[in-house]
Amino acid sequence: MAELAIENLTKRFGAVVAVDAVSIHVADGEFVTLLGPSGCGKSTTLAAVAGLDRPDGGRIRVGGTVYFDGRSGAFLPPEARNCGLVFQSYALWPHMTVFDNVVFPLTLRKVPAAERKRRVAEVLALVEMEAYADRYPHQLSGGQQQRVALARTLVYRPEILLLDEPLSNLDAKLRDRARTWLAELRTRLGLTTIYVTHDQIEALSLSDRIVVMNAGRIAQIGTPQEIYERPADPFVADFIGTTNFLPGRVAEAAGEDALIELGDGQRVRVRASPPRGPGTRVILAYRPEQIRIAAEGAAPDGAGSVVTARVVSRAYVGGRWQVALDLGGGPLRLETARPPAGDRLRLWLPAEGGILFQGSTDVSLV
Amino acid sequence: MSGAALSAAGAREARPAAHSWREAPIQYGTALLTVVLVAAPLLPVLYQSVVDRPLYDAGKQLTLGNFVRLANTDGFGLILWNTFVFAALTTLIAQVLGTLAAVLFGRTDMPAARVLGEFFLWPIYLSALVLSFGWYTVYGPSGYLTMLWNAVFEEPFWDLYSLPGMAAIAGVSLAPVAYIYCMSSATITDPSLEEAARVSGAGTFRTLRRITLPLLMPAIAYSAVLNFTVALELLAIPLVFGEPAGITVLTTFLYTQGVAGIRPDHGLAATAAALMLAVVCLLVWLQGRLLGNTRRFVTLGGKATRPRPFRLGRLRWPLFVVCALYIAATVVAPIGVLVLRAFASFLSPMVPLTEVLSLGNFAQLFEEPIYARAVWNSFLVSAVGGALATALIAMIAVVVHRSEFRFREPLHYAALFPRAVPGVVAGVGFFYAIALMPGLGEIRNTIWILVIAFTMRYIPTGFGAVAPMLMQVSPDLDRAARVQGADWWTTCRRIILPLMRPALVACYTILFISFFKEYTTAIFLFAPGSEVIGTALLHLWIQGEAGLVAALAAIQVGVIAVCVAAARAAFGVRLHG
Repeated sequence: MAELAIENLTKRFGAVVAVDAVSIHVADGEFVTLLGPSGCGKSTTLAAVAGLDRPDGGRIRVGGTVYFDGRSGAFLPPEARNCGLVFQSYALWPHMTVFDNVVFPLTLRKVPAAERKRRVAEVLALVEMEAYADRYPHQLSGGQQQRVALARTLVYRPEILLLDEPLSNLDAKLRDRARTWLAELRTRLGLTTIYVTHDQIEALSLSDRIVVMNAGRIAQIGTPQEIYERPADPFVADFIGTTNFLPGRVAEAAGEDALIELGDGQRVRVRASPPRGPGTRVILAYRPEQIRIAAEGAAPDGAGSVVTARVVSRAYVGGRWQVALDLGGGPLRLETARPPAGDRLRLWLPAEGGILFQGSTDVSLV
Repeated sequence: MSGAALSAAGAREARPAAHSWREAPIQYGTALLTVVLVAAPLLPVLYQSVVDRPLYDAGKQLTLGNFVRLANTDGFGLILWNTFVFAALTTLIAQVLGTLAAVLFGRTDMPAARVLGEFFLWPIYLSALVLSFGWYTVYGPSGYLTMLWNAVFEEPFWDLYSLPGMAAIAGVSLAPVAYIYCMSSATITDPSLEEAARVSGAGTFRTLRRITLPLLMPAIAYSAVLNFTVALELLAIPLVFGEPAGITVLTTFLYTQGVAGIRPDHGLAATAAALMLAVVCLLVWLQGRLLGNTRRFVTLGGKATRPRPFRLGRLRWPLFVVCALYIAATVVAPIGVLVLRAFASFLSPMVPLTEVLSLGNFAQLFEEPIYARAVWNSFLVSAVGGALATALIAMIAVVVHRSEFRFREPLHYAALFPRAVPGVVAGVGFFYAIALMPGLGEIRNTIWILVIAFTMRYIPTGFGAVAPMLMQVSPDLDRAARVQGADWWTTCRRIILPLMRPALVACYTILFISFFKEYTTAIFLFAPGSEVIGTALLHLWIQGEAGLVAALAAIQVGVIAVCVAAARAAFGVRLHG
C-alpha cells in the first residue's frame, strides 16, 4: 500500500484531449472515486495509472516508485507496477478454472507451491468463493465472476487497487448487495483504492473523496458531503443528485443575504456566499428534497420564500407523483405524495441550502 | 464472509521478475523473419530484370535492355492478349455461375439447394491441376464423354484446347469464390429490404432484379477482381491445354522461359515476372479499395439468419434439373471419372467397367520410388511445413494485433503482401534466390525450400483464418495479465495463444490442404529427391501415363476429402481459403 500522486496528467487521442492536466493526490489507504459521464477521462486516467496507456505528459508516482514521468520519459510497463486492476468486464481467462485464474499472479511471482495454495484458498474464502475453485468462469454468475476478479487482484497484495466500474455489469438488485459487500471489504483491507464509476450512489456511499470529472478536467474534488451539498458548478450539481435550476438575477444584496428575481418577477430570498452585486445574472439551484409545497395562504417567513409555479405535467410513478413545473421560465421537478389539485402550485423555497451559481440562462447543463 | 482478513495484507509483495527485455527481440525477430521471407523471392526477380546476364554470372551491368527485349519478343503481344482474354472470359463465367448459384441455392425454395451448394463448392478444395486432368479424362479428345458423344453424334461442340475451353474449366473452378462472397453478402444484408419491396407489391423476379442483385453488386465486383487476379496467375490449365495447342499465356511463358526451356532466358523471365507482379499488385490494391479494410477475410462463416426464400413456382423443378445437370457435368463427372480412371486399366464407354477395374495403377505407382517419395514428401511438407507456418502466422498475428510493437502496421502490410505475389513469380523468385545466396545451396535439393516457399505464399491465407478470431478476444484479457505482472511474451504464451487454439487448428488445416495441393511454386523449385505430388503429376502427364496421373490425383483428392470432412466435423469451420 502506498500513496498515489498524479500530477498534470495529460493524454491526447489525436486532436481530442481526453485527460487535460489532471492532478490528484490519494493518501495511503484512501478510497477515491473518479466520477463522471462517459468520455470524461476517468477510465483513461485509470489506464494511465495501470500502465495500459502511455500518457502524453505529467507524472504518476506511487510511494517512492515513479510509474511515469513525461519530462524524463520514464515509463514503467504495467507488469512492473504491481497495481491491482479489476476490469468492468472482469477479464477472467475463460480457458482457466477459478483456481488457475487466481493462482496466475502468484506463479508469476514465483511463490512456492504450498504457499500459493494457501493464499488462493485464503483469498477465495475472503470473497466467499472457496466452493467454486474448480469451476470455469462461464459456469459462474456475473456477481461470482466479479468476486473472482477481485480475488485474483487481491491475492498478490497490490500496491494500489484500481476498480474500473466493477459493478456496472450486475443487475440492479445484485449491484446493491455487491456495493454493501465492497464497502465492508474496503474497510477491512484498507487498500489505497481508485474507483471509477458513473454511478453517483456508488461514489457517494463508498468513497472517502470523490473526484468529479468533466471533459477531461477535474470539476471538483471533495468528500461526498461536500460534493453533494456544495457543488462547485452547475455541472457537478446536475451530475450528482437531481437538481432544479432557476435562472434569475440579483435584485438586492446585503452581506450574505440576497434577493433573487426570477424570470416572471417573483422574488426569492437566499443566503449564499460569496454574495454577488445587484444585476448579476445567476442560476439558483435546489435539490428536490429542499423544496416544499406551501400550505394554502402561506406567507414568506425569515427561513424561506413562497413562490407560485405553473403545473406542466404530472405522472404517477408508484406511491408518489412526479410533477413537472414551470417557475419563472425554468423547469422544476418535484415528487409529491398527492397530485396537485389545480394548475398552480405554491412552493416554499428555503433561504439556506439553495446554491447560487453565476451565469446566464443559456448555461448548457448536462 | 470469512472472518480472517488477508493475512499480512500490509506486507510488501515481491514484484514479479521483470522480463521486459524479451519483448523486443521476439517482436523484431518475427518482423525480420517475415520481411526476409516475403522479400526473398521478390528482390532477385526485380534485380534480375534490370541486369544484363544471369544472376550467378560475374560482371553484371545494370540495364533496361530486358524490357526492350521483352517488348520486341515475337508474339509477346499475343501472349498478353491471350492472358487478358483468358482471365476476362474466366472471370465472366465464374461471376455469372457464382451469382446464379448464390441466388438459386441461397435465396430460393429450390429442392436440395443446400446439397447442390455443397457440391458447387468442391472445386475450391482441389488443385487446378487435378481439375484439369479430370476435365481431360471426361471431355478431352479421347475423354469418356467425348467418345460417347462421337458414337451418337458427329464432332463434339466443345474443344478444351482453346481459350474458351480453358476459360470454361477455370471459370467453373473459380465460380465458388464468387458464390461464397455473394452468399456471405446475402446473409449480412438485412432481409427486411427485400421484404419491404415485396410488401410494396414487387413480384419475385422484380425483387430479385431490382433489390437482391443490386445489393449483391459489391460482392460481385470484389470477387470479380479477385477471380481476375487468380485467373492471371493460373498455371495448370494453360499448361495442360494451352501449350499443346500453341496458346501461350504469361504464366506458361514464365514457366518455359524460366525453368522448363532448354536454354532458359533469365532476363526475359524475370522481366515478365516483374511485369506480372506489377499488374497483380495493382489488382490487389484495387481489391482493397473495393472492399475497404474491414471485410477482407471471409474465412469463418457468418450469422445463420436466413431471409425468407423466394418462391420459384412452376420453375422449381425444371431449374433443379438444370442445376443438377450442371453439377453432374462440371463437378461430379470430372472428379468421379478421374477417380474411376485411377481404379481402371482403361476407361471407355465401349468397354464394360467390370472388365477393366484393377488396382494396377496404384501398384505401379508405388513400385516407382520417385512417386512413392513424392506422396511421402507431400505429407511431410504439409504436416511439418503447415505446423511451422502456423507457428509463424500465430506470432505475426499476436505482434500485429496484440502488441505495442513500433512497426506492427508495416509488419501487417508485409504479412499480407504475398497476396500480390503470383505463384509463378514466387517460384521464379525463390529459384533465383537459391542461385544468388551462397548459403541456400544446402537446401536446394531438399523439401525445405518448398516449405519456405509455401509458407511465404500462404501467410495471408493463414492470417485470414487467425486474425478475425484474435480480434474477437477481448483485449481486457491480456491487459489483466499484464497488470498482474506478466510481461508481453508470458501473456501471449499463457493467455492469448491458448485462447486462439481453435483458430490455430483451423489455420493448420487450411495450410495442410493448401500445401498438399500446391504445385505452381513447386515446379520451379523441386529437384530429384524433393518431388511432391504436384510435380510428379506434371512429370507423369508429360510422359502420357494417364492411369498413373489418375491414381496420384485420386490420392490427393482422397487425402483432401478426408481432411475437409474431418475438419468440418470437428469444429464446423468452413475452409474457404
